[in-house]
Amino acid sequence: MKRHMLLVACILCLGGCTNLVSGITSQMADDLAVSILNSKDVDTVREAIPAYLVLIDSFLRRSPDDVDLLMAAAALNGSFSTLVGPERARLLSGKSLTYAHHAACMHDRQLCDLDAVTFEAFENRMSQLSARDVEVTYALGVAWAGWIQAHSDDWNAIGKLGRVKSVRERVIELDETWDNGGAHLYLGVLETLFPAALGGRPEKGRGHFDRALSLSSGRYLMTRVMYAQQYARLIYDRELHDRLLTEVIEADPVADGMTLTNRLAQQRARELLTESDDYF
Amino acid sequence: MTKLLSILSMVLLFTATSALAKTFKVATLLPDGSSWMKKVRSGTREIEQQSNGRIKFKIRAGGTQGTDQVVLSKIKRGQLHGGALAAGSLTRFFPDLQVYNLPLTFASYAEVDYVRRRMDQTIIDGLRDGGMVSFHLAETGFAYLMSTKPVQSVDDVRKLRAWIPDGDPIAAELLKSFGVSPIPLHLVDVLPGLQTGLIDAVAAPPVVALALQWHNQLEYLLDVPLIYVYSAMAMDERSFAGMAEEDQRLVQASMDDVFEQIDRENRTDNQKAFDALLSQGIKVVKPGPDELAGWQDRARKSIDDLVRSGEISAGVVETLDGHLRSFRALPAGNSD
Repeated sequence: MKRHMLLVACILCLGGCTNLVSGITSQMADDLAVSILNSKDVDTVREAIPAYLVLIDSFLRRSPDDVDLLMAAAALNGSFSTLVGPERARLLSGKSLTYAHHAACMHDRQLCDLDAVTFEAFENRMSQLSARDVEVTYALGVAWAGWIQAHSDDWNAIGKLGRVKSVRERVIELDETWDNGGAHLYLGVLETLFPAALGGRPEKGRGHFDRALSLSSGRYLMTRVMYAQQYARLIYDRELHDRLLTEVIEADPVADGMTLTNRLAQQRARELLTESDDYF
Repeated sequence: MTKLLSILSMVLLFTATSALAKTFKVATLLPDGSSWMKKVRSGTREIEQQSNGRIKFKIRAGGTQGTDQVVLSKIKRGQLHGGALAAGSLTRFFPDLQVYNLPLTFASYAEVDYVRRRMDQTIIDGLRDGGMVSFHLAETGFAYLMSTKPVQSVDDVRKLRAWIPDGDPIAAELLKSFGVSPIPLHLVDVLPGLQTGLIDAVAAPPVVALALQWHNQLEYLLDVPLIYVYSAMAMDERSFAGMAEEDQRLVQASMDDVFEQIDRENRTDNQKAFDALLSQGIKVVKPGPDELAGWQDRARKSIDDLVRSGEISAGVVETLDGHLRSFRALPAGNSD
């Protein structure tokens, strides 16, 4: 009997301990993400992230189905993929997408196999989402877009753009303020991939960029960079292009959760502005 | 005195260079940032460097100068000097360039390559005689019929509500010859048209269907290349001839090189896009021999009509048919 009790206690402890570890690691992963996003030093982050990627993989070995941990791993791998060369970007964005899909699936079974179901079934599932699904769905959209970006020479990846767009549109319906209006920023880019003559909708894109700017109170500088790069270049509006980029360069990059991206945005703004004469 | 001479010669040199310097304004529907445009821009930069700044290009991409027809009117008025345009829009300069666009003419890309090796120069020369200097022709690819319902025979296709590009009478006539009532829509309205059921079929190269996400609303692809589509970078002959001969040779060689690369890459892209369509769930429908004969019979009648109405010369159609017969008579594996 005593032995039996011990076994039960062990099983209880095992479950409890796993939850405890998982709770700590999820919190740690969250803290890590916040520290990275608040860093002003792009180079330090670029050098430090690989160690954290290994760490977070080890946490996932213990808690492979932990939704928070999976989302943190997806975000970390996805963010780092934008700081490395194309080969590693493909690998890391692939990992990010796998984690994001698994997180979505663990969150709700109707979000399993979203990559494999028909587009009609995909849209049906999107229509059934509610406000409680926004976080995981948004994270999936980010990872998916990053993966397509890293695989832009692969037509199978390009063929998934419609799903990413559908995810973004649904997030906007449920909570357009999520991540400071990030879904609007992504839709702004998607609508301005092609000129109007080739099926793009630049003015619709402009509306999304404006809304994203408004929802982040203009503090997320990457929005202005993408606005200039995608929209102003597409319609050959040099005045708008140069004004947006100058505003980015002159802005204070420090903003909670945005500092690192803002620093990257300032780097990109300088590059784009240098090309302005040649482009226009 | 020597100093004065140097200054004078510098001034003279400057004015001489300015007088000779030529900026070509060219336009295209293609978006900047596309691999096409990256190659074109890198080609024009090379021309600028090698000509020591005598030749410059100002490129207006993404349709900001209007449709191909508007670009051609601007070229006529001297507001633009050239454009990367769909071959179909250049027919007024050389109607016989439509010979590659005739319906159901090619059965495979191997046939296209065989014929193009023998006929591209005829098209380039014809355009030049018509007043447009063109460079290596660039493939857009085979357009396939994709639909929400399976289509095998000409009778099936008659039941479709098929899209054609807005303001494209040639495509309209072509579809009518198959007994289809075409629905003209602007490109941006095709996806909503498919979503609402206003249209249920499109004919387009696989890259277009994928890039614009039409494939998500389509289920079937008829495995018959309907039309071969291609493009050309064309420049007004008078502007081109205004350059020194050395510069003409430089522009010709660089642009030939750029468009040869684009031509090759588009082939690979379309083949990959075709495979991707299948892996995204599009089902391929292969017509049986009788159905295929029905398609070919209709296509031949539509070509005969074009010849009769003077849209294209009988001679060029015969030349192409002759090349195809020669190719089809070759032993398998020999395509030279």
